[in-house]
Amino acid sequence: MNCFLGVDVGSVSTNIILMDEETNVLESMYLRTQGKPIVTVQRGLQDLAGRLKPGWHIRAAGTTGSARHLTSVIMGADSVKNEITAHAVAATHLVPGAQTVLEIGGQDSKIIVLRNGVVADFAMNTVCAAGTGSFLDQQAARLNIPIEDFGPIALEAKSPVRIAGRCSVFAESDMIHKQQMGHNLSDILAGLCEALVRNYLNNVGKGKEILGPVVFQGGVAANVGIKKAFEEALEVEVQIPKHYDVMGAVGAALLAREAVAKGQPSKFKGFEAAQEDYRAGSFECGDCPNLCEVIEIAAGEKTIARWGDRCSKWANSVMAEESAV
Amino acid sequence: MKKRVGIPRALLYYTYYPLWREFFTSLGAEVVVSSPTTKGILNQGVKKAVDEACLPVKLYYGHVMDLIGKVDYLFLPRMVSVEAKTYICPKFLGLPDMIRHNVDNLPTLIDVNINRHKNDNQLYGAVYQVGKMFSANPYNIYAAFNRAIKVQNRYETLLQQGILPFEALSVLERGDGGDKETATPQQGKDLTIALVGHPYNIYDNYISMNLIEKLKTMGAMVMTPEAVAPEVVEGEANKLPKKMFWNMGKKMVGSAFHFLNRPDVDGIIHLAAFGCGPDSFTGELVEREVRRKKTVPFLNLTIDEHTGEAGIVTRLEAFVDMIRWKAVSQ
Repeated sequence: MNCFLGVDVGSVSTNIILMDEETNVLESMYLRTQGKPIVTVQRGLQDLAGRLKPGWHIRAAGTTGSARHLTSVIMGADSVKNEITAHAVAATHLVPGAQTVLEIGGQDSKIIVLRNGVVADFAMNTVCAAGTGSFLDQQAARLNIPIEDFGPIALEAKSPVRIAGRCSVFAESDMIHKQQMGHNLSDILAGLCEALVRNYLNNVGKGKEILGPVVFQGGVAANVGIKKAFEEALEVEVQIPKHYDVMGAVGAALLAREAVAKGQPSKFKGFEAAQEDYRAGSFECGDCPNLCEVIEIAAGEKTIARWGDRCSKWANSVMAEESAV
Repeated sequence: MKKRVGIPRALLYYTYYPLWREFFTSLGAEVVVSSPTTKGILNQGVKKAVDEACLPVKLYYGHVMDLIGKVDYLFLPRMVSVEAKTYICPKFLGLPDMIRHNVDNLPTLIDVNINRHKNDNQLYGAVYQVGKMFSANPYNIYAAFNRAIKVQNRYETLLQQGILPFEALSVLERGDGGDKETATPQQGKDLTIALVGHPYNIYDNYISMNLIEKLKTMGAMVMTPEAVAPEVVEGEANKLPKKMFWNMGKKMVGSAFHFLNRPDVDGIIHLAAFGCGPDSFTGELVEREVRRKKTVPFLNLTIDEHTGEAGIVTRLEAFVDMIRWKAVSQ
């Protein structure tokens, strides 16, 4: 059976999925990137290799996320696409008719407006990461509650407190203040959920036409408190797809399927890539005052990719070596 | 020995360099332009400049510093207004003062006032004042200015044909008379993207992170406000309920409105610089109009001194994907 591999390597999590021809997700993994994208991808692929059933064949592979280029160099990919496109593709396939996609991940959040199954508009958070998963993680840790309990506790709130959500630093001091005043935990957590949603809609969602069906995906969609806050703010039902936490990877697999639709052979290097010894290094090129930080990926003794140079001379030198071989 | 006049490759360089260069060289001076922007130049500028300044002004500092020791004069006019009833921007007004008080070992500054806000007569007075530093003969100054105006007009004609400043400057540099064989309209692209922003942001390859090249590589033809005729800009900008008094902002808004009405424009990108007041207004004004019309996809990008390209690339890729996807589905 032909399968499609999708890998989404983000700042916080690395998601790997395997999908069949009918868009059924066969295997899915949610790993923490922990600052080591190469090792995490290799570990995930190794794990996945062990789960393969006889007869499953990787027909094509796709990567997305901020480490999509790095990942494609390591495992070989037929499609290397940005996460906005990947999320949009996944949502249109898994939730037909969706008109708005709210996505909140570890460090970024985006909104994608779909009309007739096509992206009509999108926005991504800028430098500010207030209201993303990392902040919720951090607050849960500070309050000493497991992140899984965050949502359910927030749902118990009777009268959520008002928390300033514009900036996570101020939100935190505001929360501490409310807690010292004697408000109970569930009211504070529900207040935080509302603040995050307000912040999201005012920044990322500013000026966007949000129509239902609304799909909420990304790791934060696991938080029922946030879901409820979205529903109250938007006054529409918010759907959470089954594979909400790995939608980027699903999109990458769908894009890979499209990339080989005309019968092209796959660029996927196979699961052996998980065994190979990859090293990433960097150096500062001093040939001009730009002082580019050049990234260098080596497999064993051989340099297989370089990037980060504005003039591309280092990047091209690898390609030249390759074509010479 | 020729007197050397330094012109920083920043801010209004992209708009008026041909004029300035022709004027000074006609008067027998040698014009020295600072090196193209690099990380080193930007870092120097960021270190010296006041923190409140916008990114392009910080970059200007870097270019000024690049010229120190290489020139006898630094051409740093106080550009208050270049057309009736508009202003440039308060930061341009204060630029000579900011530079004078923050940068050491400056060469002689040529910081005449250029203010055409109320009347045009002031302009030649300023030109003459600068000219006197290089020639005692009033006729020479007058002739140099006329030559400079001619070259500038030619530059603007080239820009209006859709030739980007970088190429237009090299056409002028070569000095060949015919525009036809040198004009190289971009061909073989399946998309047309209008890039709206201040010239000094969109044409500086370093701070724009090579945006124009990136778009071309993605298969897009790039159109900019410089290619829109001034009458068109004026007409479109008049649709605003209140007159815009920044001439560059007016050009951006006017040309964006014009691009919105063109069937051959597939998408509009507004490039804003971090810390730029006018950009925050123009971006918003354009975005509102885009949302009202709902016909052309729009992307607002903000650049700052960080060099990380990932964010820009992700948004650009997604934007181009969106346009192509839409085209396929229709």
